[in-house]
Amino acid sequence: MAIRSPAEYLRLYFIIEGQYIKARLQYRADFMISSVGMVFSSLATLGVFAVLFSTISELAGWSFMEMVFIYAFYMVAISPMQILFDQFWFLRFDVQQGTFLKYYFRPLNMMFYYVSERFDLKGLTQLALGIGLLVYSSVQLGLDWTPGRIGILLVTVFSASLVQISLVVTAACSAFWFINSWPVLSLAWKMREFAPYPMTIFSGLMRITFTYILPIGFVAFFPSQLFLRPGSVSGLVWAAPFVGMGLFAVTYFVWTRGVNAYTGTGS
Amino acid sequence: MIGMVYRFGFLASAVGNVIYLGVAYYLWKSVYADSAVIRGLTFDQTYLYVALGSTLFIVLKTYIDWSLSNEIREGIVAIYLVRPVDFQLYMLASCVGFFLLSVTTVVVPTVLLVVFVFHVSIPLSAPLALLPLSLVFAFVLTFCFDYGVGLSGFFTESIWGISIVKDSLVLVLSGALIPLQFFPNVIRDTLQWLPFQAVYYTPLSLVTLPDETWQHLVRLAVQTLWVVTLLAATRLLYHRAVKVLRIAGG
Repeated sequence: MAIRSPAEYLRLYFIIEGQYIKARLQYRADFMISSVGMVFSSLATLGVFAVLFSTISELAGWSFMEMVFIYAFYMVAISPMQILFDQFWFLRFDVQQGTFLKYYFRPLNMMFYYVSERFDLKGLTQLALGIGLLVYSSVQLGLDWTPGRIGILLVTVFSASLVQISLVVTAACSAFWFINSWPVLSLAWKMREFAPYPMTIFSGLMRITFTYILPIGFVAFFPSQLFLRPGSVSGLVWAAPFVGMGLFAVTYFVWTRGVNAYTGTGS
Repeated sequence: MIGMVYRFGFLASAVGNVIYLGVAYYLWKSVYADSAVIRGLTFDQTYLYVALGSTLFIVLKTYIDWSLSNEIREGIVAIYLVRPVDFQLYMLASCVGFFLLSVTTVVVPTVLLVVFVFHVSIPLSAPLALLPLSLVFAFVLTFCFDYGVGLSGFFTESIWGISIVKDSLVLVLSGALIPLQFFPNVIRDTLQWLPFQAVYYTPLSLVTLPDETWQHLVRLAVQTLWVVTLLAATRLLYHRAVKVLRIAGG
């Protein structure tokens, strides 16, 4: 594998995605309808929260607006998976049909080459909606955004998005060994739905699972506490910026093993 | 079969559902932390409702929207069109077997889990007698939604967006995730006449509201009306849609 500088990869990425977006713009209706779908599915959970909070004033000590903040954080954190890593949904077909073989033949990092195949435009709608809600709930809650806090926000969002990417990509990589990775992948995808709930409502096995085994608590709830309740966060919360990077390292290792184990499907 | 990919996915849905049952248990426990009854429902009633609701969501999913739009795009649909069978009936029949399979493989374990692990009892009452009929109607209604979205594949390639909009609307407005009682009264009064609640709220209330009597019959009547209306509407849509179909070469 050739060694290239990050700047060179960035330049390549812009060139590739520029062409990709030009091609996608042929299907404007598809973009519009998909974006509407994205908005609806994002607002569905928020609608359920709103209905729930019309009967109760707080959930495990969290107010409606705080839940909106956590949910907005969640939407922003899952967007990089949607926008940049969407190609992994197709890994099982590429592995099955042998089209994955072409990725071995370019002097590029294989994961880079693979994710560069797709840039999901409808994910931008989700990201924009998430940022909008994040700003809205911050204003409503009267959060104090110092430059330092904004810096922490960027780092934690980056890390939280890596948690989401790691869970889904690792699940997708099971295709290298099992070919049909759909069951594992859809299960990993379903897990993300539980991320915006306050982890403090869980106890026992579920809490351990969501904190340490499938750490979806680090997608939204734990990092959000740094901004909602900065005075009273546990040590665990400060791990949030590092969990994502650690998980992604594991995922990259799984990917590398998978790529090396794959032998194609003949002819 | 073409649907095999989804059937393995359905096993994963069953596992995902078990985890959801746990999440919902803790979520509603903390909702009910301060009060024994909210909007006339006890924790047991609400939890039973939500648990069966998410299970029903898996059981009812026909995936016909995805497979039909796929067949339209690839032109396979032409094979069906030359056969002397009713297309709508053919599509409905192709979903029935899967529905029966999932009723036995998902519902039974869920009920056992709810009763024995989470210790929520299921009240045996007269309205339960209406449940099989109501479930069949719920299945036909879901089929109509999915089939209608699948038919939109005749007009556009962007099935993803339409299907997601449908799923979101059904999930929230049907009371699949949260009982209709929790909605503000004004919204609830509107929702009870829409087809969405007929899919989830009507059959689920037969199990969770054993004390109601005539209300069940009203809901069943509304459900029946929507079954007839939507079957007719999707028939009409099919006849419109099939006219725009062009299939390239052979």
